[in-house]
Amino acid sequence: MPQVIIDDQTYEFEGQHKLLQFIQDLGKEVPFFCYHPSMTAPANCRQCMVKVGQFVKDRESGEYELDDDGEKVIRWFPKLQTSCNIDVSDDMIVHTQETDELVRRAQKDNLELILINHPLDCPICDQAGECPLQIQTYKYGPEGSRFEVKKVHKPKRVVLGPRVILDAERCINCTRCTRFTEEISKTHQLTITSRGDKNYPTTAPGREFNDPYSLNTVDICPVGALTSADFRFRARVWEMNQTPSIDITNGKGCNVDLWTRDNLVLRITPRYNGNVNDHWMPDEGREAYKIFNENRISRPLQKLDGEQILSSWNNAIATFNEQVESRDKKEILFIGSPHASVEENYSLQQFANLMGINDVVFTTHTESGKGDGFLLTDDLAPNTNGCRLLDLKELDQKELKNRIKKATLIVLANDQFIDRELFSDSDVDGKYLISFATNLSETTKSSDLVIPITTAAEHAASYVNVDGRIQRTIPAKETKYSNRSLNLEMSVGRLDRYGTNFDNWVSEDNKIDCIPLWNFITEVANASGLELNFEDGRSIISEISAKRKAFENVSYDRMDAEAGIQLSLNNTTEKSKVK
Amino acid sequence: MEKQINKIMAYEFTKEDLKEIEKIKSHYPEVKPATLPVLWIAQNRFGHVDPDVQRLVAETLELPEAHVHGVASFYTQYYKEKKGKYVLDVCTCLSCQLCGGYDMLHYLEEKLGIKEGETSDDGMFTLNQVECLGACGYAPMLQITNDKYVNNLTSEKLDNLVDSLKKGEEPGYEKMEMPLRKNN
Amino acid sequence: MSTVDWKKYEPVLIPDIKDLHKIDVYEKNGGYQALKSILTDKKKWADPKSVVNEVKDANIRGRGGAGFNAGLKWSFMPPADGGPRYLACNGDESEPGTFKDRKIFEFNPHLFIEGALIAAYAMEITTIYVYIRGEYLTYIKMMEKAIQDAYDKGYIGKNIVDSSFSVDFYVHSGAGAYICGEETSMLESLEGKRGYPRVKPPFPAQKGLWGRPTTINNIETLSHVPAVINRGSAWFKNIGSPTHPGPILYGISGHVNKPGVYELPSGIPVLDLINEVAGGIRNGKKLKAVIPGGSSTPILRADQLEGITMDADSLRTVGSMLGTAGMVVMDEDTDMIDVLWRIAHFYHHESCGQCTPCREGTGWLEKILLKIKNGEGEVRDLDLLLDVTTQMEGRTICALADAAAWPVRFTINRFRDEFEARCKKSVHAIA
Repeated sequence: MPQVIIDDQTYEFEGQHKLLQFIQDLGKEVPFFCYHPSMTAPANCRQCMVKVGQFVKDRESGEYELDDDGEKVIRWFPKLQTSCNIDVSDDMIVHTQETDELVRRAQKDNLELILINHPLDCPICDQAGECPLQIQTYKYGPEGSRFEVKKVHKPKRVVLGPRVILDAERCINCTRCTRFTEEISKTHQLTITSRGDKNYPTTAPGREFNDPYSLNTVDICPVGALTSADFRFRARVWEMNQTPSIDITNGKGCNVDLWTRDNLVLRITPRYNGNVNDHWMPDEGREAYKIFNENRISRPLQKLDGEQILSSWNNAIATFNEQVESRDKKEILFIGSPHASVEENYSLQQFANLMGINDVVFTTHTESGKGDGFLLTDDLAPNTNGCRLLDLKELDQKELKNRIKKATLIVLANDQFIDRELFSDSDVDGKYLISFATNLSETTKSSDLVIPITTAAEHAASYVNVDGRIQRTIPAKETKYSNRSLNLEMSVGRLDRYGTNFDNWVSEDNKIDCIPLWNFITEVANASGLELNFEDGRSIISEISAKRKAFENVSYDRMDAEAGIQLSLNNTTEKSKVK
Repeated sequence: MEKQINKIMAYEFTKEDLKEIEKIKSHYPEVKPATLPVLWIAQNRFGHVDPDVQRLVAETLELPEAHVHGVASFYTQYYKEKKGKYVLDVCTCLSCQLCGGYDMLHYLEEKLGIKEGETSDDGMFTLNQVECLGACGYAPMLQITNDKYVNNLTSEKLDNLVDSLKKGEEPGYEKMEMPLRKNN
Repeated sequence: MSTVDWKKYEPVLIPDIKDLHKIDVYEKNGGYQALKSILTDKKKWADPKSVVNEVKDANIRGRGGAGFNAGLKWSFMPPADGGPRYLACNGDESEPGTFKDRKIFEFNPHLFIEGALIAAYAMEITTIYVYIRGEYLTYIKMMEKAIQDAYDKGYIGKNIVDSSFSVDFYVHSGAGAYICGEETSMLESLEGKRGYPRVKPPFPAQKGLWGRPTTINNIETLSHVPAVINRGSAWFKNIGSPTHPGPILYGISGHVNKPGVYELPSGIPVLDLINEVAGGIRNGKKLKAVIPGGSSTPILRADQLEGITMDADSLRTVGSMLGTAGMVVMDEDTDMIDVLWRIAHFYHHESCGQCTPCREGTGWLEKILLKIKNGEGEVRDLDLLLDVTTQMEGRTICALADAAAWPVRFTINRFRDEFEARCKKSVHAIA
């Protein structure tokens, strides 16, 4: 097997690798800025310098040349090389900054040169705390500045587009952003303008940077040159907790991280998943954080004499049971939702089955033409395939309206039908509409009983994306009934560990009075003497996995270890072609 | 929504320009290399390549606007805005510096009443200081609007030059001999 | 070996013939004979490789500044695979002190065209591009006319001289960027992009224009080729210095009486070039310093020039380079700090900005030198300058950072007293 010696340690390898990526995969570190595993390597930051040499082999005999001491002769490359674009080859010897003084000096010099024109913006820069320039300067950089002349000035606070703000002085010209618009999102909206040390990235004059994936450049920018217009100055990185989750705004199921502080989701950033979204996510998915924070329903709502008033959980449970028991099962319609998770739909389905109703229905939420073949899909719901795999009956709009006409009691899991104009307020006149919902909407306004349930940010549940991959969320936000310290899956930060209810950085109001849909179903079932116990997402998915062939061998542990599980969609009945 | 410039495109290529552009495109296996020659055609036609002209070039060649802007801003000979009728590029690099290039620059600054980089109020002259123009043996010298070189400058020569330019008479090509040749 | 008797030298590159730029005059004086010979005389020139070998044997060292054996560079081209192959002729000539290629464009363009065509035949090239700097508008027009004349007479195009060799020849104009004289930056500019040099490897011979094999040569280098074909590599090697043979177009400028371009053999003693060819220092002043071959080459003090000749090896012994042979002469009244600051300003202005050490380093060097020029520098600034040059050199994608670092380092080292005298006296015991 070909061998390479890095820092006096021998490693075997096969296939083609770039040296920098190879070193990183081993868990070692070489500083860099412009390299990104998903894009071409331009080698222009010159930070990832290493010393490279090759054992000398006699071309005819294939023997290694030996020097006077019997050691293999090494032919060093005359200059230091950038490791990001060198291929690892057999008989290569590499010295990184750990074992070579010149390499250390080169990396330090390079950081010094980057910093000479870099503005002293750290106190007001969003990137502080997650800034590779800060981190690498601290580890490999010079201790002070020898620059005593005037720095170059460039435009600051430039509104590059509706979502991105540019600070040209901070830019180190790594060209990650321009390469992103050329190679990944292919909109070619960014270019470097001017020459020499007056250059900075910009759009064509008079044009906006309105690329639907523009905020990804903010993620990959190694300094605070490109910042999110929405998130600017909102919070410091070290105050927030970072929790892995799934994008629920469309069917692609991009892997994301939710950043929370004091139980408010402050921003959403993409998480790497080689099988789904690589390092990227669409800008629309990032705006979903508002769904988690604003306009929430806290405590059940009931309509009395046409007016919606706050009710209590006991009332809600009692009313629910009353309504269900008072009607003939032919008059009850249970509607599942592709916006709700697999576990939520399953628990609703099980309850309906216990009532003797065997067809729980649902309808898709698609917008034709929205999909772009990359990370935007026509399907605007995260779990359409999950509903199909659970054998919920798929209806289109006409069929749904018919069923609603025939029913007198409608139980609707998390969907906004009236807002989507699938049916109107008058269609449900005279019928009893129970909605499980997370946010206030026209649908909830028309409902007779509204039960607040948890969003994807507050529960651990799974969603199956348009390609049939099942992935799960992890709770990031506490509800009134969940506790971060007790739930081992939830992230705990400094503020959480040391904050009490009497500290001014903990607001009780941010915790919503809601419970997961399956818990409510359990309460309702037990209140009427039925045997149904759904405790949490993990146990429900094990039950589904044991009972349903489509979900064979599925578990949260496996989903976490394999970054999602690919399920087979062959046995589902697809009514509409969903991309 | 795209923020469009609320100006009707004031620039159009003439038919001859478009024919020339087609000929240029045939020199290369793809369309991107035509960016530089077509920017030259645009500058010769309109006098500069400001953002609207860049947009015209991008549209004509069907290339991204940002690409054309990047190219136009990289090269110094493309004027990013309207310049004076005559752009005087005075070389002050190395040999020209040694032979008095800066003196010639300052003389012109005083004579025209503008600093380097500025255009005179009557729109006749723009004065620039530039890097080596490849006429080091004939220093100091200047170039008129990316075209003719005026070599071996003295204050008298500059006086005569400015006077003739004001009358609209551009100097012709000045053939600089190789000293050892007799049959030039 | 010749004794470099330059006084008896007969010009070959730019012969003393009137109207040589006209194609009839050129043909009448033996023009295009070399091309015809390699295409038709199959006994002497059996195949393209024979041409490459002859040129390699002649040791035409690149006249663009790097001095690499042109024929050897030609042999790096991979075997033809049926796809397009390119020859890019570098006429970007923006190095301060260099003004020689324009003479070829003006007085003997067909010599260059013939040389390029011979090179294209030798390397089985399909298209030739000549990249001329944008400021040379007059010469661009002259070249376009010369190429059109050659097309009309059948020397360029399909089936040249009724052989199976076909090639196209196009002029591409630059637009004001010194960096585009760097070979890979020129390729990027030819491809219609910003002139950012490419990382090497892969080398242009493997992956050049549009990913195809490409060779880049300087105008003057290619202009030597017809004479080598006509008169043989042995004749060529006999001209001038043995390790750096052939005629050179010397460009002499600065404080001399007769500045201009002179075609003379290589290996002329530097002092002869200044005092006899260029007529000596003007106004009877004494010589102070010489930059031998364009601003990137390290400066030499007058006392270092004894016995040094104008070829790569001799100049290397005193710590300089031949470069483009564009010599700049400075007399005793020259302010070295002024000159050095202006050179640093040039590189700062012309840096493309792609990689960190050059982009930031050139700016830093200029700003410190400005401080010293204005009398506000301190002696430790000189050491800082030397340190920054070490930080820049050898760490970048192209050689502009080296070219910017060398003048600073060598001028300060060789004129240290003058620089220190300009610095403020430090309050501290250790400056």
